[in-house]
Amino acid sequence: MAYKVDHEYDYLFKIVLIGDSGVGKSNILSRFTRNEFCLESKSTIGVEFATRTLQVEGKTVKAQIWDTAGQERYRAITSAYYRGAVGALLVYDITKRQTFDNVLRWLRELRDHADSNIVIMMAGNKSDLNHLRAVSTEDAQSLAESEGLSFMETSALEAFNIEKAFQTVLLDIYQIIRKKALAAQESASGTGVPQGTTINVNNMSDNANKKPCCST
Amino acid sequence: MVNAFIRVTDREKKKQKGRQNSNRDFSLDLTVVFPYIAIFMLFFSTGDGIEGLRKWILFAEASTAGGGGGGGFWSYYSVVSPSGIAIAVTAMAGIALAATIVYSRRGSLKSPWALRKRKYALQPKQWKSLFTPDGKLGDGGVKFLKKVRSGVFTPTNCDVCMLNRYDLNSSKEERDSIRRQKRKEFERLRKRCRQILKRVENSSTVKETAGNNCNEDSEDLSQVVDSSGLEDVDSGRRSTEGESPMVDDSENSSKVKETAGNNCNEDSEDLSQVVDSSGLEDVVSGRRSTKGESPMVDDSDRPPRGQSHQTLVSSDSDSEGGIDKSEITCEDNSPGETESSGSDTSDEDENIPLFASEITEENNIDKDDNSSASRIKSRSKSHADEDFATWQRIIRVDAVRANDEWIAYSSTQALVSEMKAYQLAESVGLKEYDHLEPCRIYHAARLVAILEAYTLYDPEIGYCQGMSDLLSPIISVVEDDSEAFWCFAGFMKKARHNFRLDEVGIRRQLNIVSKIIKCKDSHLYRHLEELQAEDCFFVYRMVVVLFRRELSFEQTLCLWEVVWADQAAIRAGITKTSWGRMRLRAPPTDDLLLYAIAACVLQRRKLIIEMYSSMDEIMRECHSMAGRLDVWKLLDDAHGLVVNLHDKI
Repeated sequence: MAYKVDHEYDYLFKIVLIGDSGVGKSNILSRFTRNEFCLESKSTIGVEFATRTLQVEGKTVKAQIWDTAGQERYRAITSAYYRGAVGALLVYDITKRQTFDNVLRWLRELRDHADSNIVIMMAGNKSDLNHLRAVSTEDAQSLAESEGLSFMETSALEAFNIEKAFQTVLLDIYQIIRKKALAAQESASGTGVPQGTTINVNNMSDNANKKPCCST
Repeated sequence: MVNAFIRVTDREKKKQKGRQNSNRDFSLDLTVVFPYIAIFMLFFSTGDGIEGLRKWILFAEASTAGGGGGGGFWSYYSVVSPSGIAIAVTAMAGIALAATIVYSRRGSLKSPWALRKRKYALQPKQWKSLFTPDGKLGDGGVKFLKKVRSGVFTPTNCDVCMLNRYDLNSSKEERDSIRRQKRKEFERLRKRCRQILKRVENSSTVKETAGNNCNEDSEDLSQVVDSSGLEDVDSGRRSTEGESPMVDDSENSSKVKETAGNNCNEDSEDLSQVVDSSGLEDVVSGRRSTKGESPMVDDSDRPPRGQSHQTLVSSDSDSEGGIDKSEITCEDNSPGETESSGSDTSDEDENIPLFASEITEENNIDKDDNSSASRIKSRSKSHADEDFATWQRIIRVDAVRANDEWIAYSSTQALVSEMKAYQLAESVGLKEYDHLEPCRIYHAARLVAILEAYTLYDPEIGYCQGMSDLLSPIISVVEDDSEAFWCFAGFMKKARHNFRLDEVGIRRQLNIVSKIIKCKDSHLYRHLEELQAEDCFFVYRMVVVLFRRELSFEQTLCLWEVVWADQAAIRAGITKTSWGRMRLRAPPTDDLLLYAIAACVLQRRKLIIEMYSSMDEIMRECHSMAGRLDVWKLLDDAHGLVVNLHDKI
C-alpha cells in the first residue's frame, strides 16, 4: 500500500522479502537498512521488518521492508503480510539450484496473496560465491524475462547491488503510482466531458496539464 | 565473612531502595517472620570457575504450610572461589541481615523470585541429597520442583533430564532401564538417518559409477525420491504445489533423471527398489499419516513388504515384540513396567547377516512408526507439504548458523578435538562449515543428528525452523546425544504444537496471551483492539521459540527450567494443596511461559498506549527486546499474574 503522508515522508512503500530458507533475505535487509551483515544470522521466525527512508525522484520515500521466514511451514503466517505490499524482492541463492527452482513457486504465492500490480525484483544473492555458482546468470535472466520480473545478482556480504535492487524496485513502484494518479485524473476529466459545458472542458484539460491534483 | 555480609546487605538495601522508588507497596514486616528465621551462609564453588565471579544467591526455602507471612527460613548461598564448600551459620548477623531483606506485601511474604539475582548449579552432594537411597526423589519430587520453581538452579544434565525425561517418582533403576532402552530407540532412528544418506550414496553409485564417498550429498535424497517416483511423496507434492517441481529438486536431480532416461529402464527400476527397500518408505509412511488421506490406524496394518520378509526375520520377532511393548510402556511414561526391555538387550550383540539385520531394522522401524502412529492418531491431521529431504536441507542450514553463546557453559564440548568434530560432521552428512571452529562444527553436527532423528520420530511435525533454537541449549547442557534427544522429545511434547502446520497450537497460545492481557489490563487491551493487534501476533516469535531470541543463553535456561518444573509438577499431579506448603502461592501452570510473555507486554503498557499507533511498532518493540529483559522480574510478574488470573483463564 502506498500511503501518502504530509510530514516526514511523501510515500510509504511496503516491500516483502521472500525466498527459500538460507538464501540471505535477512542479511539483504540488514545490509540495506543498517549496512550490517552477519554470517550467522538466525532463521527468521514468522516475520520481521525494518524501514529506511530514501529519495526517489525528489520524493521522500519510506520503505517498510518485511522480512519473512523462508520455510514452507510459516507460509500461512507470512503470506498474510503480502497484503498491502507494493513491491517484492524474490531472493534465491546462486549457489543452490533448488532455491532458484523454487522461484516459480514463490511467484505463485505472490499471485495468490499479493496485489496483482506488485513490482517484483528477482535477486540472485551470494554473488560473492561465484566459484560455487549453481545457477547461471543467463538462466536467471531468461526466467526473469519470461515471467516479466526485474533481475539482479546481489551480494549482501559485499554490499553489491543491494542498494541498486531496492532503488530499482522503489523507482518502479513510484512510477506506477504516478502513472496511476495521472490515469485517474485523465479518467476524471474524461467523465467530465459529456457532463460539462464547453467552457468546463477547457478548464479541466487545462488543469490536467498543469497540476497533478484534482482540486478544481 | 563480615565482608560478605556487608556485600549482601548493601545489595539488598539498594534493591529495597529501588523497589520503594518504583511505587510498589513494600513494608518491613519483621514481627511475623522474625522468630522463624535462620540464616545460612554457604560458600561453595561452581567448580568450573569460568567467570570467577562471586555470586550471591538467596532463596526462600519453604517450611510448613502457612498463608500470609508464615514461617520459613532464608538461606544465603554465595559462590566465592573454587575451593570447595564451607558452611557457616551465624544467627546474630543473620537476624540483622534478615531485617533488611524480608519484605511483606499486604501481610504475606513476597515471592522469592523477586529477591533473586543469581542462580547456581546444584552441587553433586546437594543433588544427591534430594534422592532416597533407591534413587527416588524424596516426597515425589515436590522438594526438587520447589527448588527449581523458585529458581535456584542453573540447569545441569541431571535436572534437565529429570524435568523432561523421567517420571518424578522413578527410581534410579527404572531410569537406567529407560535410558538403556531409549538409547537403542535413538540409535535406531539414527541408523535410519544414516541409511537414508547411504542409500543416496548407493543409488548415485549405481547411476553415475562415480564411486563417490559416503555422505556425499544429503540433498541427493531428494533425487532418489524424485526419480523413483514414490507415490506418496509425489502425490503429496502434486496436491499442494501444482506442476512446478519445487520442493525436491536438488542440484543434480535433473542430471540423475536424464541419466535414468538414457540408461535402460532396468536402472530406474533398480533405483526405485533401492528406495523402496530403504528406510525411505518409512519416511513416506510417516508422511502419509499426516496427510489425512488415510487415518493413522490404517498405517499399522500397512506394509505388505514387512510381511514378505516375515520368514526372514521370524527369529527376531520376539525381540521386536519386546521393543514394541517397551516402547508403549515408555510412551505411557510408567517406568515401573519396563521389565520387558530386558528382552531386547540381547539383540545388541547379535551377529546377523547384513541383509537380515537390515530387514530386522526395518521391521523395528515399522513397529516404531506404528507406535508413534498410535501415539498421534487422535490428533487432528495436518497437510504436510514438506518432506524429509527439505527438512534435511533446512536443518543443515540452521545448524551451521547456531550461535556460540553456549561455549562458555560447556567446557568439555568447547574443547572437542578437530578430528572428532570433523568425524561427526561427516557421519551426519554436514558440510559447508568452513567458517566454523571445531567446537561449533561439533555442535552443529549434534544438532543435525538429533533434529534429523526427530523428524523421523515425529513426522507430523518434522523439522520447523526455530526447533534448532530450542535444541541448542539442551545439547549444550546434556552431552550425550541419546539423552539430549529424549529430553528434546519430552520438551517437544508440548512445544510441537507451536509448529503445527494448521496453526492450531500457536493460535491457542496467542489467544491465552491475549486473554491474560484482557483480564489484567483492559485499558491496554482496548488500545490493542484499536490497533487491531488484540490477537497478540506481535509476540509470535516469543511463543514459538520460548523467549530464546530475547534472552541470553543463561537467562533462557533459567526461564525454561522454571517453566519445565511447572509442567513436570502438572504431569506428576502435584496438586495445589501440596504447593500451599511452598510459599510460592501460584499453582503450577502449563502456560507459565504465556504468563511471562503477557508480563513482558504489560511491562511496556505505558509505551504501547502512549507511543505506538500500529501493530508494526509493537512488533518492532517486541523484536528489539533482546538483552533488555530481566528474567527474574519477568518470572516474578508472571507469577503474580498466575496468582491473580489462573482461575479466570
